[in-house]
Amino acid sequence: MRWLSLLLGSMLSLPMLGQEVVHLDDVQVVAHRRLKDVGVEMTKLDTLVLHENISLSMADILSKNSTVFVKSYGRATESLVEFRGTSPSHTQVTWNGMRINSPMLGTLDFSTIPAYFIDEANLYHGASSLNLLGGGLGGAVEMVNKPIEKNGLGLQLVQGIGSFNTYDDFLRLTYKNQRLSSSTRVVYSTSDNDYKYTNRDKKTDVYDEAGNWASSYHPEERNKSGYFDDVHLLQEVYYYADNGNKLGASVWWSHMKRGLPFLSVDYKDDSDFKNEQRNNTLRSVLSWDAIGEKTKWAMKAGYTYADIGYEYFTTRQEMKNSVTSSRSYSNTAFFQANADWMLSPQWLLMGGLETYYTHVNSHDRSPFHIGKNFDKGRPEYHANVQARWRPVEVFSLAAVVREEIYKEDWVAPIPALFADVILWKPWNVVLKASVARNYRYPTMDDLYFQPGGNPDLQPEKGFTYDMGVEWAVKKKQWTLKGNITAFDSHIKDWILWTPNTKGFWEPSNVKKVHNYGLECSMDASWLLTKNLKVSLAGNFAWTPSKNIGEDINSNDASYGKQLCYVPKTSANLNARIQWRTWTLLYQWNHYSERYTTTSNEVNYITGRLKPYYMTDLSLEKTFRWHKTNWAVKGVVNNLFSTEYVTVLSRPMPRRNYEIYLTLKL
Amino acid sequence: MLLSASMLTAACSGSDDGTEEEHFSSSGQGVFILNEGNFNSGNATLSYYDPEKKHVENGVFQRANGRKLGDTGQSIIIKNGIAYIAVENSGIIWGIDAETFRVKGQVTTLGTQIINPRYVHFVSDTKAYVTDLYSPYVNIINPKTFMWTGAIATQQEESRGYCSTEEMVQVGRYVYTNCWSYSNKLLVIDTETDQMVREITLSSWQPKSMKADKNGKLWVITDGGYSMEDESFSDNIPHLYRIDAETGAVEMDQALDSDEANVQIEMNATKDVLYIINNDIYKMSITATHLPVRPFIEAPKDANGRRHKLYGIGVNPRNGDVYVGDAVDYSQAGVVYRYDANGTLIDQFRVGINPNHFAFK
Repeated sequence: MRWLSLLLGSMLSLPMLGQEVVHLDDVQVVAHRRLKDVGVEMTKLDTLVLHENISLSMADILSKNSTVFVKSYGRATESLVEFRGTSPSHTQVTWNGMRINSPMLGTLDFSTIPAYFIDEANLYHGASSLNLLGGGLGGAVEMVNKPIEKNGLGLQLVQGIGSFNTYDDFLRLTYKNQRLSSSTRVVYSTSDNDYKYTNRDKKTDVYDEAGNWASSYHPEERNKSGYFDDVHLLQEVYYYADNGNKLGASVWWSHMKRGLPFLSVDYKDDSDFKNEQRNNTLRSVLSWDAIGEKTKWAMKAGYTYADIGYEYFTTRQEMKNSVTSSRSYSNTAFFQANADWMLSPQWLLMGGLETYYTHVNSHDRSPFHIGKNFDKGRPEYHANVQARWRPVEVFSLAAVVREEIYKEDWVAPIPALFADVILWKPWNVVLKASVARNYRYPTMDDLYFQPGGNPDLQPEKGFTYDMGVEWAVKKKQWTLKGNITAFDSHIKDWILWTPNTKGFWEPSNVKKVHNYGLECSMDASWLLTKNLKVSLAGNFAWTPSKNIGEDINSNDASYGKQLCYVPKTSANLNARIQWRTWTLLYQWNHYSERYTTTSNEVNYITGRLKPYYMTDLSLEKTFRWHKTNWAVKGVVNNLFSTEYVTVLSRPMPRRNYEIYLTLKL
Repeated sequence: MLLSASMLTAACSGSDDGTEEEHFSSSGQGVFILNEGNFNSGNATLSYYDPEKKHVENGVFQRANGRKLGDTGQSIIIKNGIAYIAVENSGIIWGIDAETFRVKGQVTTLGTQIINPRYVHFVSDTKAYVTDLYSPYVNIINPKTFMWTGAIATQQEESRGYCSTEEMVQVGRYVYTNCWSYSNKLLVIDTETDQMVREITLSSWQPKSMKADKNGKLWVITDGGYSMEDESFSDNIPHLYRIDAETGAVEMDQALDSDEANVQIEMNATKDVLYIINNDIYKMSITATHLPVRPFIEAPKDANGRRHKLYGIGVNPRNGDVYVGDAVDYSQAGVVYRYDANGTLIDQFRVGINPNHFAFK
């Protein structure tokens, strides 16, 4: 049985090393060092953070609770996530074990993921992403749904109303008995999203009666064509069989209709133009897990369908003038098999096979090209073996090797080494280090998209070193955990799309980038009285990300310069005060200035975006009424009405309000 | 010919929000350089260069007016002391005082009449034509009042959904415009009736640039469409044509050998010499029968032999100086090379992102 408890401890997040709760006078130390996590730099976001409120997307959650940079083109508009100054396509994303990055772009729009649909999110920084999958040169985001824990029927209903005619509805029905667990979630979000802002990019001139210019002012404008209408449905079913077997199925369907906001320098009237994107997405994963005495087996099969339609047109005298339009359809089949073998208390061996087959049919219409972009399928085969060794209690080592095949191309083996050492056990102070080589294979757009796609592209190659210290302590009245990590990373053959002389864009392996810096996080809580708890969580990142590639020509002034749109520093802070049935949450986040040119022109009019500080505040009251649980929550976003942009000419909303009413049975 | 530092004094000029607007006074014969910027970024800018002092001022539109120029600057042309700037993806044509750079007026889209303005051509002091990438009309504006006054239907069958019109030249009472997007047509507009009266069909597709010489001949260069693995539109071979404007007869047709040429034509002041970007810069007499074998100015190369990407060309009508824009990596401040009429480099200076068009005062 000892074997079994060790195995379960290793695989099911139960305390592994020093499984017992240690009592040191009034100090409780819970050691949570799974062999699986040797040397891993990970940020864990739990349900408390993810289910902060119904209107938040994963993009909002990540910008407020982690060190990643979220490049957002507006509220409920494309939001991409960058780890450590890399590009959004260097962030790999999985949902219930299946990779969900766009096979065409390699990115994921996190504004399309309602945070209420995710029960746990783990951010693997740098080399640590290789524990999950390859290709995450910046890192990886693992999003997971978890079965409910409470037996019986459950219901949760949330109604949200916010500024700009925003309505959010959420319904969750759950049922669980000893064998079966089911959860059905529905989200519907709609908004005119036509927030007002002072347009600093325009000026209105005022003339006197004689027609002479008298003065000018920046006009108040509204966010044009920013509306959205999103519906998501997520069904999960889990069946617990005998002998530690578990079967699961999760199906997620979404339909999104979103206007694409006009630039702040656009003088066209949105009532005359339609600029809209419609997406339909179906993601599904079937899973089987079996836990034996020394082994764990897991198999998953999945399927993803996505269609994306984009249309930009105007009509004149009942004649439709198409500006641009595009359609793409992608189908991805997925299969994965993993085995873990607890060879001894000191050794854990793991291995896995994974395959994807993706077919994409894409076509567009623009002045530069009309017709098929590409209509191709691509198989991928991934394999990994992992060995984890803990020779003595204070020291662990892990080695991971991955191999990936794309169609007939074998990517060079991807190796990674991880180590950790316990420096001081009472506070669980652990020194962690890792080194890894990583590759990212070009996306299907990179290779095949016409016009421009380049079938001769090489995979991007990365080399990363990480070293850091983490600590975790829990006392009767307070807990404290945190980490500081330094990293150094080199990426070469970085794929970059640049325009050619015909007017369309082409990718090539041109860039070499050096990323380095520090990531820190701290999480503390105090139970001040029986009814009063204060929690404080913060993150800070310093991420210089420099282009060190060969100059394009002698006029190229980009060598040694920070990459476009990558802030050198970012920080956030979450302070939560819970008193009886009241919760006050203060959230603050900051991004330093970002350059918009590769040469970091500081004198160029539009060369940099100002740093900004964002503050949100919410107050929630829970109460019981007729044996039902209720919550009322008010939120003020952008408390100080800061004017800001994260991307040029894309103004973000100023102060705005939301109120939520929640019923739970 | 003055653009001194004393004239760049910053002062608040009537703005109610404290935005400073600089006062410029450039009474000389300088050059405006339009920097296209990046599509969908709103970072087009305007530079002003004093050839005598070899001094450039960047971002002058925003500095003089406290507002951005817009998204994707396409063309600039000066008439009666006003520089008209078509900013296509913003859907606006600015008119600025060529000395103070202050906005005198603007023509906006007025509904869907103008969608993506490309070029402005002056028929008279009170009438100008505006071509458009997406609209099936050539719009008419009054450049004095900045009012839209009408539109000329191009009467083209939508070629694959598009009916674009591009550059314009005038020979006598007729204005000629080239239809680039999926077309092989030149349209002829009667400026007295504001009607499209006929069209000229070319053997090659996508006429991209056009100028008229002193003999009433049209010089047209096409980009030849595109040719890809699964899709092609024509043969991707650029052609250079000389066409008699009056009869529409093609008098010269030369296939060019580059399929990656940033094809663009400029003409000198006396309209007897052509300058063509076709990777390098070629200079050609209007009496020549084909493009010279050797370029007039080779695109600058760096130590590794990589050629700079020439993005725009302008020829000073006063002295024949040739200005060429280098886009570098398309995401940083570009460089303008200034050559004298003999092709000797005189100066080079940084401007804005993707310098693509020049206007000489």
